Amino acid sequence: MPRPEVRNITFEVDGREIVAPEGEMLVHAAKNGDVEIPYFCYEYKLGQPVGACRMCLVEIEGIPKLQTSCSTPVKDGMVVNTTSDRVKAAQNAMVEFLLVNHPLDCPVCDKGGECPLQDISFGWGAGRSRFIEPKRHFKKPLELSPLIAIDRERCILCYRCVRFSQEISEDYQLVFLERGDHTFVGTHDGRPYVAPFSGNILELCPVGALTSTAYRFRARPWDVEDSGGLCTLCPSQCNVNFTVRDDKVVRVNCRDNHDVDDGWLCDKGRFAYQAIHARERITAPLVRDGGVLREVSWERALDDAASALKKAGSGAAALVGGGATNEEGFLVQHLMRKGLGSPHVDSRGGGGIDAEHARALARTDLAASVPDIEWAGAVLVIETELVDEAPILDLRVRKGARRHGTKVITLTSRPSTLDTAAAAALRFAPGSAEAALGALAAALGSPRKGGLDAAELASRAGLTPGFRAGHPSAGSPDRSTATAPGTGEDPVPTEGRRDSAADAAGGGEVVAALEAAAAALRDAPDVVVVWGERVAHGARGKQAIDALLAVAGALGVQGTEGAGLIEIPATANGRGLREVGCLPNLAPGLKDTPEAGRGAAEIGRALGDGGLSSLLLVGADPLRDFPERAVWEAALEAAGSVIAFSDFRTESLDEHATVIFPAESYAEKEGTLTHPDGRVQRVRQAIAHPGDTRGGWWVLSELSERVGAGLGALSSAMVSEQVAEAVPFLGGLTLGDIAGKGVRWQERGASSSLPVAELPDSELEEPPEPGEGLRLGAVPSLWSGPETENAPALRFLAPRQRAELSAGDARRLGVSPGDQITVSVDGQSVRATAAVRAAVPPGSVFLISGTAEDNATALTNGVPRTVEISLA
Amino acid sequence: MSPETRVVLRNIEEPGLHTLDVYERLGGYKSLRKALLEMSQETVLTEIEESGLRGRGGAGFSMGKKASFIPRGTMDKFLCCNADESEPGAFKDRLLMQKNPHLLIEGCIIGSIAAGANKGFIFIRGEYSHQADILEAAVIEAYAKGYLGAEILGSEHSLELVVHRGEGAYICGEESALLDGLEGKRGNPRLKPPFPANQGLYQGPTLINNVETLCNVPLIIEKGAKWFAGLGMDKSTGTKIVSVSGNVQKPGNYEIELGTPVREIVYGLAGGPPAGREIKGFFPGGSSAPVLTPDSLDLPYTFEAMAEAGSMLGSGSIIVIDDSVPIVGVALRLAEFYRHESCGKCVPCREGTNWTVKTLERIDSGEATPMDLEILSQVQLNIIGNCLCVLGDSMAMPIGSMIKHFREEFEEHIEAARAAADRDHVTGLGAGELASAQGAGAA
Repeated sequence: MPRPEVRNITFEVDGREIVAPEGEMLVHAAKNGDVEIPYFCYEYKLGQPVGACRMCLVEIEGIPKLQTSCSTPVKDGMVVNTTSDRVKAAQNAMVEFLLVNHPLDCPVCDKGGECPLQDISFGWGAGRSRFIEPKRHFKKPLELSPLIAIDRERCILCYRCVRFSQEISEDYQLVFLERGDHTFVGTHDGRPYVAPFSGNILELCPVGALTSTAYRFRARPWDVEDSGGLCTLCPSQCNVNFTVRDDKVVRVNCRDNHDVDDGWLCDKGRFAYQAIHARERITAPLVRDGGVLREVSWERALDDAASALKKAGSGAAALVGGGATNEEGFLVQHLMRKGLGSPHVDSRGGGGIDAEHARALARTDLAASVPDIEWAGAVLVIETELVDEAPILDLRVRKGARRHGTKVITLTSRPSTLDTAAAAALRFAPGSAEAALGALAAALGSPRKGGLDAAELASRAGLTPGFRAGHPSAGSPDRSTATAPGTGEDPVPTEGRRDSAADAAGGGEVVAALEAAAAALRDAPDVVVVWGERVAHGARGKQAIDALLAVAGALGVQGTEGAGLIEIPATANGRGLREVGCLPNLAPGLKDTPEAGRGAAEIGRALGDGGLSSLLLVGADPLRDFPERAVWEAALEAAGSVIAFSDFRTESLDEHATVIFPAESYAEKEGTLTHPDGRVQRVRQAIAHPGDTRGGWWVLSELSERVGAGLGALSSAMVSEQVAEAVPFLGGLTLGDIAGKGVRWQERGASSSLPVAELPDSELEEPPEPGEGLRLGAVPSLWSGPETENAPALRFLAPRQRAELSAGDARRLGVSPGDQITVSVDGQSVRATAAVRAAVPPGSVFLISGTAEDNATALTNGVPRTVEISLA
Repeated sequence: MSPETRVVLRNIEEPGLHTLDVYERLGGYKSLRKALLEMSQETVLTEIEESGLRGRGGAGFSMGKKASFIPRGTMDKFLCCNADESEPGAFKDRLLMQKNPHLLIEGCIIGSIAAGANKGFIFIRGEYSHQADILEAAVIEAYAKGYLGAEILGSEHSLELVVHRGEGAYICGEESALLDGLEGKRGNPRLKPPFPANQGLYQGPTLINNVETLCNVPLIIEKGAKWFAGLGMDKSTGTKIVSVSGNVQKPGNYEIELGTPVREIVYGLAGGPPAGREIKGFFPGGSSAPVLTPDSLDLPYTFEAMAEAGSMLGSGSIIVIDDSVPIVGVALRLAEFYRHESCGKCVPCREGTNWTVKTLERIDSGEATPMDLEILSQVQLNIIGNCLCVLGDSMAMPIGSMIKHFREEFEEHIEAARAAADRDHVTGLGAGELASAQGAGAA
């Protein structure tokens, strides 16, 4: 859907002429003329106004009654008065009413000093109350969740948190209970409000009713300073404000950037800051000395590391990941390639990518931006669970579906949380993305479909409909109003009938579902394809990308405004690291390398068999995040030296590290990252380095210096300049250009220096026949990272391994929900709790990857695997 | 005694009227046949518009005009009958649904023709479970006879009609809260615009009308708009069923021609207050209507005259207060009702009703001063016109009117209650305590 055309109109408020887009709500538009109208319930980000607080009443010429400016769209020539006696009387009245039941405990309230109710009472209230009756009382404060305390006496029932839960995050947990002046906010079932985005209600609350248990009583607003930064815990790279007190981050709030996060944060981004100040954090260099890791001076650590690397020379390899910046990535590949003569550097733990494909996927005419997601006619989500892998984009997809009628189509192996907002949903067997994409390409009429037809490809993909045809959620942005009673279509939740539908799904039904998805995509003038890096993983990743490009070709996204692809990489700066040369086959700027190095998987094997001898780890934890855990265990065991940047002692490092450099947190770093949509953003230092921690760029520069390949950088900013020189399509990009909101490099002139890559036009290969048995899928959880374990507030969310099974398979295997089971293949096994999920297609089983214990990576090796399940 | 003008209630005493057989025997569903087979959507709409029929639920908005706002097109359109009769003093819809359910169903079907709606709901208040049972039985009969369902009587018009029982919230009588309630949500009023005619039930265009309004529709089709417009006075055409209650000798439902003087209704039909008592005031249109004094008894009972007198005809429910009833008690009971029923969505209603009740309680128990009366009336002014829906006004306007008309009685009550409370306080103390309290005072 094209964005609506903005037509500016002129209207008058309090005698001032104001220009604003037509149709914008008056309360918002008035800000253009520096007129402030007080409000509580209105919030631009929440969409439709509710008009509950009545604080924004104004007088509009020609309308006898006072109007709520939050719900009045501005029109040309409108004349508004916000300061007349009538309006003032109403404002005084509303403040007086609001304070009727609001305790005046501002001196001990966390919100005091940054409280809209306080500010508006001072600014627009009469300054006194005539209310002398007793106020209402609730028990307080109560835990709304382990993260959020609720003080119901302070609540002014503005609807913001409830609307967020109902209409933004769509977790539907928060509701109003009781009515009248007894009304209070709670969850519909009385359980804690635990949801991926729950923390946003802390910022939405205009009073001190919702406070963060992690921040409660830690500081008053005048004790703290805000420092703009970036959350680098996932590829969403949300813009944040660090609240800093005494050089410690005590809170993280959103730093509204419509082009990135739309003003929301996930709970991981909001609360994981606690890990920055965890006592266990490494804050000084460590060197293995007599078998144990000991704190040493920087000189000693750098010398040891440099000599180990020098000794290994071209036998050294580097793995980069996590929140490593473009600068750090650039320096790592420089150190390896120029300093040590080793081409073995990789940032893709799950599997490599063809140079031509990497360049094709980077083409500017195939690139979609984040805002494109919400305005697209259709969004095709391929093999990624956004809520776990780039949470904030999950909200963006929902926003498009709810507000702009975007059709969402999910094509994933694991049932997607977006299914409930989807017009069509398709499941394929884990590891069969290639065949599934081929089937979709064929259904879309791609000339590249190859020798098989859509039905045959669908069968090779093990394709099943995600929900039965004609399901009420099909095509409806708002589930609550999806079906009118009396139409004979009972709105049974998807999960209830899914299993039987899948069991009964014959080939005909599959093809019909595929056709329905293709039709929804064809009808959309612009399609945004959001795809997970996992598509490209494994032995047939190359063919899967080929099929993905065939789908993109058939959808005509190339050069279509508002359409394009967005890849969700497996690590936060996956895109940036590739573009600065952290791939074995690509130099900075996606240029060819003179000598192709080994990819991550081969590095692991070569370390194990002596082909390589030294490993440099920058933000990468292969035991936790990479497939083939057994290979990596052997690799670390055999490596002559392991040099790592890390903020915590991990399993990999405790036993095997030779040198550990303390890693900076994202609140201490300087540098740039590249968002999945190409937006280059800055991380900025908000607090001083704790202990003896030093900048990653500095350590890497020092190492290069010591191996004789110094670049002479004296600051991170100088490295940024070097990156801009080395990567032609970032040419001339300065930190000043990037500034607070970032710049998409595709939108700069220098983007034309991207190496040309033709889109493939040959026919697709035939995907292999699927095997029999239970297929294993391993998917990360939002909470499965070390950040969860190291932030006390989040620790309760750290997942224990669980295996999701279909009801049919569980019955067949004699497994009941909650049973302890063993999932095994090839002599490797993982213990898990059985979770029967009706939406899981028969024949698939899903484990969580990246857990601290019983990690699914013990079983994965990049090819579709069939596993055995037994009761433990 | 002046006679009633029984039009809507013409066969109301016929035994078995609630069955299809009796209803049809007395000419039922003839209007539907006429509307379906002899008239078009346009002519049905025009007929209703020209009759001047105004909503009988409270707002008094022209039904024809409301129906004409419904956009044309192929989208799903809805008809909702508001049978959530919960206004204190109103009990006319209960009578209609209990005795003559098919008249309402026929009205719904014809209304749906005018609106072009194919799905209809009767939202009946949950407490009317007996009436809901009767309605449901009638709906089943009407389906069986082909008056409801697909292609009614072989025409192109279809209507699915569902009886939905409310869950006991007064606010669901407010049309947009009713829609939210129907959708399964918390029954809270919506922000308007959009109005239901454009975006109502499930975001579709929706015509919402009161039971009595829809019950008038078959008569208009049967006898013509001219006949209907000939009844009544000014822009208050037709008849009105008036529920008279309170201090009258013969409370009940009376159907009168609009324009009949109030005195004739209250004294003539309802028998006036019990012997030896005088009328102190009356609510002309249910508990939400500002109270009028006996000076207004000779006004014609029309929408216009009641509005001019500073009140409203509302749902047409007259509650009579005689001189034996303390006005403070009436005000407190009324305020308690509205506080209990306030949905809590908007601030002035939620906090204002609560504040009003607490202040009135103090006035009643002798803990108030005349200054509280001043604050109380300002609180009412702060509510009026500032709320999301009309519930806040529904309390503030009558309470405000009571303070205005009966200020002296309020002040006397404050003094008397305070004196009584002081006396209680003193006599409640033991002799020793009393002595020491006095001693302390003396020292």
